[in-house]
Amino acid sequence: MGSSGGRSSRLPGALSRSRAAQQTTVLHLNRRQLLALGGFAALAGGGLDEALAATPDGQLTWAVHVSLAPTWFDPAETPGMITPFMLLYALHDAMVKPMPGKTAAPCLAETWKVAPDGLSYEFTLRDGVKFHNGEPVTAEDVKFSFERYRGTSSSVMKARVASVETPDARTVRFVLKKPWPDFLTFYSSATGAGWIVPKKYVEQVGDEGFKKAPIGAGPYKFVSFTPGVELTFEAFEGYWRKKPAVKRLVLRVIPEEATRLAALKRGEVDIAYSIRGELAEELQRTPGFTLKPVVIQGTFWVYFPEQWDPKSPWHDLRVRKAAALAMDCKSISEALTLGHSKIVNSIIPYNFDFFWQPPPAVYDPKQARALLAEAGFKSGFDAGDYYCDASYANVAEAVLNNLQEAGIRVKLRPLERAAFFSAYAEKKLKNLIQGASGAFGNAATRLDAFVIKGGAYAYGNYEDIDTLFAQQAVELDQKKRTELLHKIQQLMHERQVYAPIWQLAFINGQSNRVKESALGLIEGHAYSAPYEDVAINKS
Amino acid sequence: MKQYIARRVGYSLLSLFLLSLTIFLFIRLTGDPAALLVEPGASAQDIENIHRRLGLDRPLWEQYWLFVASFVQGDLGLSFYYRTPVLDLYLQRLPNSLLLAAVAMAFSLLIGIPSGILAAVRVGRMWDSAGKMFALLGLSLPSFWVGLVLILVFTVWLGWLPSSGAGTAAHVVMPAFALGWYFAAAHMRLTRSSMLEVLGSEYVKLARLKGLPEALVIGKHAFKNALIPVITLAGINLVVMINVAVVVETVFAWPGIGRLLYEGISFRDFPVVQGVVVIGGAMIVLVNLAVDIVYALIDPRIRLAR
Repeated sequence: MGSSGGRSSRLPGALSRSRAAQQTTVLHLNRRQLLALGGFAALAGGGLDEALAATPDGQLTWAVHVSLAPTWFDPAETPGMITPFMLLYALHDAMVKPMPGKTAAPCLAETWKVAPDGLSYEFTLRDGVKFHNGEPVTAEDVKFSFERYRGTSSSVMKARVASVETPDARTVRFVLKKPWPDFLTFYSSATGAGWIVPKKYVEQVGDEGFKKAPIGAGPYKFVSFTPGVELTFEAFEGYWRKKPAVKRLVLRVIPEEATRLAALKRGEVDIAYSIRGELAEELQRTPGFTLKPVVIQGTFWVYFPEQWDPKSPWHDLRVRKAAALAMDCKSISEALTLGHSKIVNSIIPYNFDFFWQPPPAVYDPKQARALLAEAGFKSGFDAGDYYCDASYANVAEAVLNNLQEAGIRVKLRPLERAAFFSAYAEKKLKNLIQGASGAFGNAATRLDAFVIKGGAYAYGNYEDIDTLFAQQAVELDQKKRTELLHKIQQLMHERQVYAPIWQLAFINGQSNRVKESALGLIEGHAYSAPYEDVAINKS
Repeated sequence: MKQYIARRVGYSLLSLFLLSLTIFLFIRLTGDPAALLVEPGASAQDIENIHRRLGLDRPLWEQYWLFVASFVQGDLGLSFYYRTPVLDLYLQRLPNSLLLAAVAMAFSLLIGIPSGILAAVRVGRMWDSAGKMFALLGLSLPSFWVGLVLILVFTVWLGWLPSSGAGTAAHVVMPAFALGWYFAAAHMRLTRSSMLEVLGSEYVKLARLKGLPEALVIGKHAFKNALIPVITLAGINLVVMINVAVVVETVFAWPGIGRLLYEGISFRDFPVVQGVVVIGGAMIVLVNLAVDIVYALIDPRIRLAR
């Protein structure tokens, strides 16, 4: 089996949860078998209580911060953002997907193997898995789902996959045009291509019909959707991994943060997404409620786009190091996210494959001033503009204060989100840029966009890093590839290509009615998942 | 008369054309919607695909032509975010907005008109000062603040009303009050000034000289005439309440057109913003056209004037 294995050594809690979940699955199956086979004997031995306990029961309601779009019901249209996965994890299932303790866990695919030449990936489907309409999940559905996929990175995937073969109903073979070590990353987590829809049903109702009444193979069935108001799911008792414990899940859209908090406090909802700053502090103080911060795969940083210009002060490594030393990221995290954002000192999320852990970030304004003086800026210098996405201007203000204290004087230039990212990608910004990314993938995909020559957000490049990157892109030996990608990250750290800020924590709240919200079970995933693990506190 | 109506219709069409062009261009100045449909770090190829899928790769004039040509056929295009026809989205939200606007209007008239009359009748006295204070607060307190205070008191402290959403009578109370509060102040001010003007007129003086009871003078002779400008303003305000209750609908998660507009702006959903603004504009243009024609029918001087 070609499971990546993830980085389980760093995730003892998540791994133990995963094991517990597997044990529970076995227990449920035994109960079902006992009931089916034992009949009266099982009931007489207290089996009735157990059977009732195993039946999904009750309702959990989420206050969701964004409007839910019906396009998210269809994995074929998955955009390159995390929000649609909030629904996909309930309604659908993937061949391989991130699960507790694993970045690529076998789901609809029970096993897979990679050909020695790296030119094909063969998946074997789990036996007996069914869609919500009772139809079995077959290799044809897998092929169909891949071919109709038109979401993020669809052109990249389709350009590299020569054919999809289905030798039998349970076997699917992806044949590549040339070896592509990141195939599984793209198929399992960076896109929606590996999420399976029922071919017959989609052909019968069409794309629009599918969005109105979606059918999947996930732990929850679609019940109703009122645009702008709420979405209701009901437990699918035939889900292969485990029978969901909660009967109904309701996702209610409440865009205003203070209203979400009020709804949580009044008991209208059980879990509220995105409660920040003072409201989070208030929730923390309120008995009967718990804060549930989740560190997502969104890293933030300060970028020096002029580091390749010999006339710019930022060309001098000492100046870039001074800026990094001046930033008190820990205090910024404490002030803005109650200390829950993780200071990883990298632009690569710590939970990504091939992540290299740099030395811890150091806050030393004295050393920063000394480095500036050494670089010829004893009294500091006017560093121009500091551009950021206006929705994170609070982070920028904190960084700016730190820089100012060290003598790096910059003016804050917050731009509206769309305008900021357009200008960033068009390479129109200068001086300092506060960037961020929550894109899926692994260390290589993140480097590709932000560091390597031609990257969408790379304002310059280092030739040795580009060479190493080109080597890893064709390296099939995982160990060698890891070494190459670690070396790149090490060079980036030494050259202070970026001054990393943090890996953002998404702060949520839940009431004591919730036994398991499934928040944070999957590393880097912002929302509750897997939904079959959510549970109500019966006491 | 036919010439007059033709001219007014021509002006109305010109207004709509200018409105559609303005909103079409202005919304495009706010940034690239593709940047909001992907995480930062997405490949240029992905962004290009989104542009192609949304029709943003076409020349601007062609996009505008498609928008206008579809609009006249009753097609407002497909929402970028929802991938659903904008007209369907609009019609789904319209009943909620109509309900909210109707209740908010009732609130605003029930509060605004009696307090305006009282302030005019007791001019310069305590009721007048209280009315002025009410108008000042109503016009200056932001509706999101009023909304949050209402939620704090009636949901969190007292637990009487649901914080948000729609579906029952209890859901509409707070958003309607928060929305109606601002307009109540506006209606109060206009009622007061209109009543003061009428109360100083000759025929009211005559009614008083005739010895009519004060209640009859105010209720029948003054109030009826003072009401005309208030009703005209209320009509226009109703259109505003239906289409642009953006803040109140967002605070209370009320699924109306205002929130649709808010979502459209947040996600640079060009077809949604264009559709909502042009429909709202068309409503106002139609109301004005109807008023112009009615005025011309009543008063020949209007239609004969150049």
